[in-house]
Amino acid sequence: MKGTIALCLAFLAYPFVFSNAFYLDIGVALLLAAISASAWNIVGGYAGQVSVGHCMFFGVGAYLPLLVYQHWQLPPIVGVPVGIAISLVLAVLVGLPTFRLSGHYFSMATIAVAELIRLVVSTWDFAGAAIGLQGPAVGRGWYDLTFRGELPYYFIFLGVLVIVLAVTWQVQRTRFGYYLRAIKAGERAARSLGVPVRRTKLYALMLSAAFTSVAGSLYAIKTGFIDPDSGFGILVSVQMVIIAALGGAGTLYGPLVGALILIPLQTATNTWFGGGGTGLTYILYGGIIVIIARFEPGGLHEMWQRIAPKLWKRHAA
Amino acid sequence: MVKQVNRRTVLAGAGAAATSLATGASSVRAADPVKVGVLFPLTGNAAAAGQASKAAVEIAAEIVNDAHPELVGIPLAKDAGIPGLGGAKLELVFIDHQGNPSVAQQQALRLINQDKVNVLLGAYQSSCTLTATPVAERNGIPFVVGDSAAGNITQRGFKWLFRVTPIASDFAAAYMTFFADMNKAGHKVASVAVVNENTDYGTSVGDAVEAAAKKAGLTVSNRIPYSASTTDVSAQVLQLKDKNPDVVIFISYTADAILYMKTMKNLDYMPAMVLGDDSGFSDPSFIPAIQDIAQGVMNRSAWDIGKPGSTTSKINDMYKGKTGRDLDDTSGRNMQAMLTLADALNRAGSVDPAKIQAALIATDLKPEQLMMGYRGVKFDETGQNILASTYLIQLKGKDYKVVWPDANATEKLVWPMKGWKA
Repeated sequence: MKGTIALCLAFLAYPFVFSNAFYLDIGVALLLAAISASAWNIVGGYAGQVSVGHCMFFGVGAYLPLLVYQHWQLPPIVGVPVGIAISLVLAVLVGLPTFRLSGHYFSMATIAVAELIRLVVSTWDFAGAAIGLQGPAVGRGWYDLTFRGELPYYFIFLGVLVIVLAVTWQVQRTRFGYYLRAIKAGERAARSLGVPVRRTKLYALMLSAAFTSVAGSLYAIKTGFIDPDSGFGILVSVQMVIIAALGGAGTLYGPLVGALILIPLQTATNTWFGGGGTGLTYILYGGIIVIIARFEPGGLHEMWQRIAPKLWKRHAA
Repeated sequence: MVKQVNRRTVLAGAGAAATSLATGASSVRAADPVKVGVLFPLTGNAAAAGQASKAAVEIAAEIVNDAHPELVGIPLAKDAGIPGLGGAKLELVFIDHQGNPSVAQQQALRLINQDKVNVLLGAYQSSCTLTATPVAERNGIPFVVGDSAAGNITQRGFKWLFRVTPIASDFAAAYMTFFADMNKAGHKVASVAVVNENTDYGTSVGDAVEAAAKKAGLTVSNRIPYSASTTDVSAQVLQLKDKNPDVVIFISYTADAILYMKTMKNLDYMPAMVLGDDSGFSDPSFIPAIQDIAQGVMNRSAWDIGKPGSTTSKINDMYKGKTGRDLDDTSGRNMQAMLTLADALNRAGSVDPAKIQAALIATDLKPEQLMMGYRGVKFDETGQNILASTYLIQLKGKDYKVVWPDANATEKLVWPMKGWKA
């Protein structure tokens, strides 16, 4: 509990300590990554269904606000609930057939569906085809959520993250959460004990899809642009998986911890070495991921749980 | 002369006074360098183009910063530094946006807030230019676009955006003028086919060409979008063979452009002319792969190396000395953007953003002051260079030669193309 309060205070204080627009923007990117990874975590972490096609929900969420703006000049935020609704339908359509598959086969199926959607969107004129869609370059009013500074985005994103984490926390401590962990531990065993496996997995995917869709909407509204690659590209999915795995998949704060490490690392390596154009950014980035995967496959959360008691003991002595 | 005083002039005067007061402290001393933030994709899919453009922009800065009296006509080449700023040099701050629109936005913020650049230049992919330019617009920092061709970049009412490069509609207009010239010269061009790869580049140029052709009264016999990663284009070539248009226009990347040329030979189909839209047709690997089967194929380029001893040839030598390659059209357009910016900085006489903006608006470069084959550089109220243009070039042996417009042609156009029957 103390940790949670400290974390909240740190996030609330950040924009006032680092008021520079660039640092604020890193904070916004970090929050966004934490939101999408936490959303993925519900089905990918707790239920152990490793989806690598979550960009389909992110993309739907990202496209809808800009679609309603482009075609009907509505404020982008109107597209957010529509995006959630479509993502829920998509989750059911994708979930029902693919949940029959397990392990790698499920992951591959999700990749295939996401790629299919990316290809369709990149030739679909209504959705801007390969060129993509733009948001309002200069907001017509506050309702367009096109702010000059980064501060409003920071607090909006922070609010959404708090909601996602609160829901995850609630899931974790209810029967639903126990079902999810039982499925992760062994699907057949869970079924034999009376866990409604298919229904539980589907609900988890729907919940996860809805939040991922919101993350996509936040991205599109903030960036003011979306194209097939930044919405439905496989790297969007991969980033969610890596961040959650890095921090600790299937734990409440795992994805946030992963984002806290990966996003500043990404930005810092690109800022320091990107201008040289040597690709050193990716080498460092990839190297760190390899090291963590080799020595701490359970994520930093697990490492912390192992180290923390020793630290306290030393303090006590 | 009595000037009518209205609210606007009073406000403008007050604004100018306020600006000069505000910037009094920050205006540069004699030799403080001018910081230019440059955004390119230095890694990722378009890394090759980004790296080549980076080298070109570095050469442009070298031309401005050092004395190059041998480059006749190029503004600021003669003396070292920028005279209007007391001999200040250009300092380039490169960033890598990886071809990712959101990274481009973030790095533009960084360049403005952390590196305190005076002006920005970039950003290759239109998607990245679309997300990086609003940052400059909100912060009141001029952004010069060297080569992003999407039409909508200049259609957002931005005041701080200046695009030097010709865009899709300019290329399409040039093609139509060329076809009209051909009809006058007795080479019939009544129908054209548009074959384009189906991502943003091919789609936007293909749309512009199709629209221009229809407007010019030509028949568009085929419009064939395809995926550049395809490994078989026989079906597409057979469609072309069936309709037999006078000219086939390809908007293609490299591997697919080569595949089309080979498939056309295999299926024994040769239109009167094949016109490539830069990109794949300009790739260094294109000519060696097809020179025996596609003699006389045409392409566009605003860049021409020119005769030995010419200014462009000397610039090419500088570039070749740095990279080992000849300068290409895309990189050349970025180099021209940098030189255009340097000229504006010189006339601004200050690094105050508003003064640079005003100087860019007043830009009026003549063709002889340019290294690229534009008709000049002059921006309209949207920030688009209205004198941007292109040459058409034709493959003769192992090289492309400029064949159109006549005024710039170094060799005579061969019509119809010879293909593999050379």
